Amino acid sequence: MTTIADRIDRLTAVIGRAAAWLVFVVVALQFALVVARYVFGLGSVWLTETVIYAHAALFMLAAAWTLQAGGHVRVDVFYADASARTKALVDLVGALLFLLFFMLVLIWLSVPYAARSWAILERSQEASGLPFVFALKTLIPLFAVLMALQGVAQAIRAATVLARAR
Amino acid sequence: MLLAEAFAILMVATVVAALMAGYPVALTLAGVSLIFAVFGGVLGIMSFAILGALPQRIFGVMTNEVLLAIPLFIFMGVMLERSRIAEDLLETMGRLFGTLRGGLGISVVIVGTLLAAAKGVVGATTVTMGLIMLPAMLRFGYDPRLAAGTVAATATLAQIFPPATVLVLLGDQLGNAYQAAQLSKGIFSPRSLTVSDLFAGALVPGFALVLLYLLFLVVVAMVWPKASPALPPDPKAPRGIALIRRLAEVLVAPLVLIAAVLGSILGGIATPTEAASIGAVGAVLLAARKAPLATLLKPVCEKTAQIVSMIFLILIGATMFSLVFRALGGDDMVHRALSNLPGGATGAVLAVMLAIFLLGFVMDAFEIIFVVVPIVTPTLLTMPGVDPVWLGVMMAVNLQTSYMHPPLGPTLFFLRGVAPPQITTRHIYVGIIPFVMIQLAALVVLWFVPALATALPNALYRH
Repeated sequence: MTTIADRIDRLTAVIGRAAAWLVFVVVALQFALVVARYVFGLGSVWLTETVIYAHAALFMLAAAWTLQAGGHVRVDVFYADASARTKALVDLVGALLFLLFFMLVLIWLSVPYAARSWAILERSQEASGLPFVFALKTLIPLFAVLMALQGVAQAIRAATVLARAR
Repeated sequence: MLLAEAFAILMVATVVAALMAGYPVALTLAGVSLIFAVFGGVLGIMSFAILGALPQRIFGVMTNEVLLAIPLFIFMGVMLERSRIAEDLLETMGRLFGTLRGGLGISVVIVGTLLAAAKGVVGATTVTMGLIMLPAMLRFGYDPRLAAGTVAATATLAQIFPPATVLVLLGDQLGNAYQAAQLSKGIFSPRSLTVSDLFAGALVPGFALVLLYLLFLVVVAMVWPKASPALPPDPKAPRGIALIRRLAEVLVAPLVLIAAVLGSILGGIATPTEAASIGAVGAVLLAARKAPLATLLKPVCEKTAQIVSMIFLILIGATMFSLVFRALGGDDMVHRALSNLPGGATGAVLAVMLAIFLLGFVMDAFEIIFVVVPIVTPTLLTMPGVDPVWLGVMMAVNLQTSYMHPPLGPTLFFLRGVAPPQITTRHIYVGIIPFVMIQLAALVVLWFVPALATALPNALYRH
């Protein structure tokens, strides 16, 4: 079972680390936009939307890896001083009841949502914008799948701790 | 409808209780809300079909242009952390003021304010200050309570000093609420509230808090000299012209950076997002002086990506919560409750402030901004005499106060985590009390003198 968790961890980490470079893309392109606007008086809807796409992809794809790395805030009042067993119990119940349940429902809701966009190859509402709105909307089910996978890994690890403690 | 509203209240209570277990906040919010939506659907008190709006709401979060400033400001803060500006600044400032009684404490507040302004995230500021400044103050014989209180309070300034992340998020939410409030009053060409307004509004109260902190340290130095002794003169330290040159070296770059970012926003030249990208590039230049860029970029991008993911996942969880809360009629219930409070607008604002203060004990500022603010502010902003900038600044100072308030203020936990072992929890709790009093006094003053918050944005943007 833990090999499955290891594989999931590797997958989300590879995707998350790759998505982290989008931070640099956002910084560089947004700065380029500022230079273009204030130095040359130019604007580009196309480039502006690229920054928004990069930003959206950044957090949608890095969220699962952040969960793995423990980067999502918890209320630490009791959790910080709890025993490893209690922490594992919280993580197991949370992963199954909150994370997996929510992400599965989100997959169920967002796949048809993205599919409608694919069916018409939806493009930006701006005439000179990017024609890839369907790709942007696909990030939602992708995000939900990655999070759900990470939830499975979290549940497996927590269950392992609990089983060992018994 | 009564059953639905009771259900909404039960959902809020369950969220708060579930959060205490310690599972990640964003997912707890989303999960509890979903479970309530399912029960609500089965019981027939809300339509499960409302959840169909969720993908479009998430898409709205993904394409929100105001929030684009968040990754840029966070990148700037994380990059500055790598540039070791904090260490350089404290060392030099300490030389400048250190030989005065209370001087090191004053240096800590000044450097901490600069850091808070540059970083904008309380956790990061507390950790840096706790690791660098607290040991320095203890080494030179400062009272541990005074040292811990000074560091904790100064670090929370990152909540309110522009360009604080909190103000960007609050500005976005208040902007939407302000539009909605005016539309509901039948004003169809509504005035807008921007993040820049809030930055300008928070500037004077922010500086006022710094001045009050400094005043407190000066009074302590005079009344109780043993608590904040002067540093012994260091014969090897540069002095005179050499010290001034060194000071200029370490101080000019960060000051220019902060001034460029804030100045271009407050001057109305650039949007916060544009200014943030300039700040981000400036931070890269500063950090590149200390370490090769190739080795910096990867860890900084990864750290930034995680913080950004953390914030936006909470936003997604809060979106789910709002959707269900609204479907259960919770919005109408809050609207009615706030409208029927004795004292009209005064009573309503006071009740909301109290609620935020108490919620601040268990919830992060981000969660309060995403969950509570969109529910209460559309009602508050329709009331006579409630200025959106004033309300935003009051909320920001309020959140900042609950951040440092014992026993549950998150800053105190952050500090506890990095403080040297001779600092006990008791030192931190006792040390923070005078600063909490200063905060509460500031809130009272701000309540009676709204111009402290509104005068600057009015002068800058609303002619």
